Amino acid sequence: MALAHTRRLNKELAEIHAGTPVGINLVNADTFEKWLFTIEVMGTSEYEAKKFLLMFRFDNTYPISAPAVQFVVDDTHKAPVHPHVYSNGHICASILGREGWSPVLTVIAVCITIQSMLASCKKKEPPLDNDRYVPRAPENPKKVSISLMVSPLLA
Amino acid sequence: MQLPFEPPASGPGTSSEPANASRPPIVVNENTDISQLSQAQLYDLNQNLLDDAVPDQPLIGPLTSMSTLRAEYKEGSRSFVDQIDYLISQGYVSIRRARGDGDCFYRSLAFGFIENLLNSPQTDVAVAIATSLLESTVPMLEEAGFQELVFEDFYEVLLSLIQQIDTPEPGGTTLTSEILLEAFQSPEVSNSVVVYLRLVASAQIRNNPKEYAPFLFHPEIGEPMDTREFCEHFVEAVGKEADHVQMTALTRALKMSVNVAYLDGRSHTGKVDFVEFRDPDSQLENNPPITLLYRPGHYDILDERTAEAL
Repeated sequence: MALAHTRRLNKELAEIHAGTPVGINLVNADTFEKWLFTIEVMGTSEYEAKKFLLMFRFDNTYPISAPAVQFVVDDTHKAPVHPHVYSNGHICASILGREGWSPVLTVIAVCITIQSMLASCKKKEPPLDNDRYVPRAPENPKKVSISLMVSPLLA
Repeated sequence: MQLPFEPPASGPGTSSEPANASRPPIVVNENTDISQLSQAQLYDLNQNLLDDAVPDQPLIGPLTSMSTLRAEYKEGSRSFVDQIDYLISQGYVSIRRARGDGDCFYRSLAFGFIENLLNSPQTDVAVAIATSLLESTVPMLEEAGFQELVFEDFYEVLLSLIQQIDTPEPGGTTLTSEILLEAFQSPEVSNSVVVYLRLVASAQIRNNPKEYAPFLFHPEIGEPMDTREFCEHFVEAVGKEADHVQMTALTRALKMSVNVAYLDGRSHTGKVDFVEFRDPDSQLENNPPITLLYRPGHYDILDERTAEAL
């Protein structure tokens, strides 16, 4: 029997191959550990004509617990400047935390949420605590202490 | 629908569980400058929060004597001890504990449900009824707007456990109490069942908004909530405790009979109030009630059998 998370990811992948929402495109899903998507905000927005690379990392607790999701930041990619996106690519979104995740959410549902989070942005500015957060944050956003990521939610 | 008890305060620190000697966590309050904590301390802090939320105990434990629970309260509240004695006098001599992870109601209920089927005098009939009941939840979930893709794996886990009562697993045996306990202690099986019951409860609420909407309140703030928002945050989300609304919805959807004994330490006489959840259509003789023990913020299973009798 295949592991529950690969069974579920296989089904999600079949749907993704059948078609993704506009502005969301699969870049790589060669393994069940890591998937990459490009996210583009369609229409008029602060992020017009920009493409961002979104990384999903899964462990065998998916989909009971959330995947680790972040924007890729490297020589060729940057994270969008947004009040809920740290400059290291970590995203502060309730659906990605213990409080807001539910197994009825899928990878594409997460992509859509992040896309609309960007689309609805009124002012391009980093989280208020970006300078405090980024040097202390662990590499994997799922390992972040709850208290470390609390202020952008209040901001 | 009247709440027969005050809504439990949720969150760590408000549980009525007896105080155990655990290592002191790093104290974080409004005076703490988190930027002064080291990377290691932050990691510890996070781990402590996770550990608090999920103590180191099995997801579902073996049947143990109520006297062990009584012993834990002996040094503490007299009224709790009196209520435990009352339950023992009513024949509830054993308790099966669920981990205090916010899923305890769903997990306890699911365990009790399958165990009842397993102990049924006519398992073939009981399994057939339970199977058709479970099958009827699939269109219910679809009506509520859930994609088959997101629930079918959880559904299959629950269905195959029920079917294993009469049909041996390929290359295995039929379900026994030991196998059931083992399954409920394995996170993959146990959490899948919990998630499925959460989705059934959610679908029941979403599909009958007129019936449930007046009772949907934010558990912490007490403000009325929109059906969808309530279901997403307080029914479907793993680790969120069930309250009266979720319990009513789930027991109705699965036509279960459930008795909940409220051990709240508030009774002056030591008597324990039982709240009954009944499906009007089902007959009790075919559907013996599952009895749960509620302590503020937590559910376990009560049993009239002793561990030795199993």
